[in-house]
Amino acid sequence: MIVDAAWPVVVQAYLRAVLVDRTHLLLLSFAPGWRLLDLQGDPAFYGLAPEAPDGLRSLQDLFVGLPLDRDQDIPFVELANGRSAHVHLVADRDAFHVLLLDAEEARSHERVQQQLVHEAIIAGHAKSKAIGQLKDIRDELGRQRSSLEEANALKNALIATLSHEFRTPLTSIFGYLHLIERRATADATAAQALQAVRRSATYLFALAENLLEYGRGESSGALLNAVEVDLGALLADVEGMFAPLAEAKGVRFRATLAHDDATAPRFDEVKLRQIVVNLLSNAVRYTTRGEIVLALAWRDRRLAVDVRDSGIGIAPEFIGQVFKPFNRGAQAGSKGAGLGLSIVRRLVDQMHGTLALESEPGQGTHFSIELPSVAAIAAGPEHASTLRGRRALVVDDDADVAQLLEVLLEDLGFEVRVLGDAASAVARAMDESPDLLLVDVELPGLSGNAAVYQLRAQGYRGPIVSLSANATTDARDASLRAGANHYLTKPLNLERFVAVVRRAVGEGAKEAT
Amino acid sequence: MTPLTHKVCMLGDFGVGKTSLVARYVRSTFSDKYLTTVGVKVDSKEVALPGRDPLKLVLWDIAGRSALDAPSTSYLRGASALLLVADGTRETSLSSALNLLMQSRSTLPDAVAVLAVNKLDLVERWEVAATTLSELRRSLPVFETSALSGAGVEEAFAEIARRLPG
Repeated sequence: MIVDAAWPVVVQAYLRAVLVDRTHLLLLSFAPGWRLLDLQGDPAFYGLAPEAPDGLRSLQDLFVGLPLDRDQDIPFVELANGRSAHVHLVADRDAFHVLLLDAEEARSHERVQQQLVHEAIIAGHAKSKAIGQLKDIRDELGRQRSSLEEANALKNALIATLSHEFRTPLTSIFGYLHLIERRATADATAAQALQAVRRSATYLFALAENLLEYGRGESSGALLNAVEVDLGALLADVEGMFAPLAEAKGVRFRATLAHDDATAPRFDEVKLRQIVVNLLSNAVRYTTRGEIVLALAWRDRRLAVDVRDSGIGIAPEFIGQVFKPFNRGAQAGSKGAGLGLSIVRRLVDQMHGTLALESEPGQGTHFSIELPSVAAIAAGPEHASTLRGRRALVVDDDADVAQLLEVLLEDLGFEVRVLGDAASAVARAMDESPDLLLVDVELPGLSGNAAVYQLRAQGYRGPIVSLSANATTDARDASLRAGANHYLTKPLNLERFVAVVRRAVGEGAKEAT
Repeated sequence: MTPLTHKVCMLGDFGVGKTSLVARYVRSTFSDKYLTTVGVKVDSKEVALPGRDPLKLVLWDIAGRSALDAPSTSYLRGASALLLVADGTRETSLSSALNLLMQSRSTLPDAVAVLAVNKLDLVERWEVAATTLSELRRSLPVFETSALSGAGVEEAFAEIARRLPG
């Protein structure tokens, strides 16, 4: 009896309705060992199925660790069917009873209120954080604005000049080529000649585009995109471009290739091609008799590029001028923009090569260039000795990039291990403590930054270099905040790569760069 | 054979991902919709550890709090272990978790305690410093977790199971 028997019957009935029916009271009586003795109410309302073997298991789980011989009260329990109930245990000598009272309405009301408060607090936190970041960004932008404006004005002026210099005549060339090609297809020789003209014009256009890079800043131009170069194909290409042009002037054209090194040559092919094209353009332009010789020789992991002509030559007083940009007039009869040789010098420098020039007026000119293979650049002699035997762990899911990093680091003297995912890298790094850890940021699953953070959070103190294709300040800061010592962007600037690797290994302790 | 059963309470500030961690661990599911927990939700999972009899963990996902109040304390009774949960993007939630641990010690002096710092998938936005966790590791097991990706979740619960009496 849940009400006093002395009360009027109607009051008793009313209270029963309020306390029992509205709360969907469920009473379960148990003997020790959770043996069900009696049940009153609707267990299905709470998602319970006493007849099933594990139907009351979730109820039992509620009282794990609690004494069953003492009354218990567990408010707002979300049951298996999602309903909320107040659950009570009432001890009764050798038995006990479990009472469930529906709390769904109260829970829903409470949830709405709490949800609003919590979301407001979380949003407030995010807002104040964002405001702080915006302030930092605004300050940084203010600092950079003035210098950027100045640099931008210079760059725009240069690009505008070059655009006009190159694009206008090339547009005309392509237009007339199109017209002529439509009319002369029956004549095989003419078609072949037109093909050569188109090829050359196309290369010139590509070259012009690259020259425009000249105005786009040192940093982007200095990046080497190393690939394995087919020297034979390169030679055939430039021969196809320039032999007809030379022969049309009555000049003999020879191209030779000596391939004495068994290793594959690795260079920035676009830059290498630009060097050869520029030198040959110069030779063809200034030679009216005799011959032009291109000789490529790959030996001792160095590529020798020799271009010799019997042209007008360069007067001694102009030798120092030809490598300066906009040097019109350095060679008699010059009609170009005066950029070709300055670009050659720049590209050779970027590729860590050497350039020599011999010339005599009336006798001809000889350009002699030596370029070290990309891997050889990384392995400067002073580097290899100090880094030999060090252990590096490379984590990159891109097999090509991983292989390149492996080759570069091995050339520096490292023993290299490569892994493709961050999770195993964390375990491996903790186990082996390599002298250097190189981690790609954009890894599948656990990100590179997350892995770096985990390592630091586990006390890992070894040097970590993060690599990413993302060159933004935010991306860099995020990696350094996660715990990387250094941040490098792809494609790799090899000089910087070597410098950072040396510094990271030398430091052995955190210092952001 | 009925496995030995232990009650494990999830403790932490609101919105740190306690419910999501349980959902990831028990059901391998994740929802990015935030629905605040009122009261408690109880789930369970059996854990098989090498060389030991299976254990059953009864997980009490308790409504988020920065400090223990009377109802929360009542939920803790009978617990063998605590999984303290913090949100790496909110440094204050780590203080809350540690505060909850200290407060719960009066009720559960011997309970196993493991710290899960959640939302590893947002590590770029974390306020909690790696060195802080490195220091904390000296006094209790710490796991960086992501209920979204599942990183570290299994490991955190396995560590609890490993430390519980078999």
